[in-house]
Amino acid sequence: MDDAELVERIGQGKLVEGPEHANERYVEGLKRTLIVSGDTELVSAPAYLRAAQHAPRMQSYISVVGIIQDELGHAHIAYRMLRDLGVDTDALIYEREPTDFRYPYAFDVPLDSWYEMVVANGFYDRAGFVLLSDIYEHTSYGPWKRALVKVDREETFHLRHGERWMRTLAQDPEHKTKLQAAVDWMFVMTLEWFGLPDDLKRHKEQLGFGLKGKSNDTLRQEWMSTAVPFCESIGIDVPAHLDKASGKYEIDMPFPLEFDEGEKRWLLEDGEITWDQVLTRWKRRGPSNEEFVAQLQAGYRDLRVGLAA
Amino acid sequence: MSAAVTADTLRDALAGVLDPEYPVSLVDMGLIRSLAVEEGTAKVAVTFCSLGCPCTELIRDDIEERLLELPGIRAVEIEEVYEPWSRADITPRGLARLREVGVA
Repeated sequence: MDDAELVERIGQGKLVEGPEHANERYVEGLKRTLIVSGDTELVSAPAYLRAAQHAPRMQSYISVVGIIQDELGHAHIAYRMLRDLGVDTDALIYEREPTDFRYPYAFDVPLDSWYEMVVANGFYDRAGFVLLSDIYEHTSYGPWKRALVKVDREETFHLRHGERWMRTLAQDPEHKTKLQAAVDWMFVMTLEWFGLPDDLKRHKEQLGFGLKGKSNDTLRQEWMSTAVPFCESIGIDVPAHLDKASGKYEIDMPFPLEFDEGEKRWLLEDGEITWDQVLTRWKRRGPSNEEFVAQLQAGYRDLRVGLAA
Repeated sequence: MSAAVTADTLRDALAGVLDPEYPVSLVDMGLIRSLAVEEGTAKVAVTFCSLGCPCTELIRDDIEERLLELPGIRAVEIEEVYEPWSRADITPRGLARLREVGVA
């Protein structure tokens, strides 16, 4: 099936149920999209587990562990679909180099407090929700569309968990200062999450083949359209505002920027950088990349060593 | 004068409060085990789907927020009874809704 024929089928609302209904370029694009999704869900587990140690109460710890369990389930869905597409998922998950994982750079920056944990739920899980809702609504891949019903429900809970805690912490002046500090680096980090602006985007088949419906810039807008009013409602400052004339959110600082991983601070003083510089930072990966992937792969390695002995 | 608030009033109100993960009310999920009103205080006995339920605080918040909206309710007391819960506790309406969203 050539691309034009496939795009026409998809345009008629026909779902692709397997590789036999598509072509190689579609399947490669689908795999690339599924790997990003699976890797993102998977790495959130060690990232959130590290942060859960700061939980103020046993019940809060249980909430985060529940969230982690959900995320692992979501990762399993993506990898299971990759396996059905003929991918060796054991090799993919357990034998890949840490720098070859394809999750957002945000998860390479460790969450060091309960403030950062709940902002991750409020911002990162909101990004996940926005991205997956788009896929649920628009994907041309039938198996993924059906699997996302459950994912969507669970992400709603994660987001509510984040908002509930952010609202509570914002009511106390001392907690609020620390919450604001977390928001200051994590807001821009989530803006970056949505990737290259539309005019620089390389893999156009994601939209053409209906693997997703909305462009990166549209999804970034959609994220801001709920994140910004929420922060404003609890008295937390964010560097973006709604431009009433255009109906669009505008970022009130140079973007993108370089990030100081040690200080968790955006280098405003250095001014705007290019997306090529951002891509270089992403490819290099951040401080926790190696540790988190090693944690995920440890059991498999031990098992291999045990079996070989 | 508004009509007196009874256990039924509380149940009707909670029939509109959804489980944090599924679009099924706490009543239809079978989580509300008893309801009573004593001098403006709503007394609610609640259980959870599992001992390790990650949503207990959200559920408590939602119950309290909704019941405090009722005229005549000035306080809400929630008791976690941890009675065993199973699928059999979900009402037919709840099960139908879960089937609709593909998770029953």
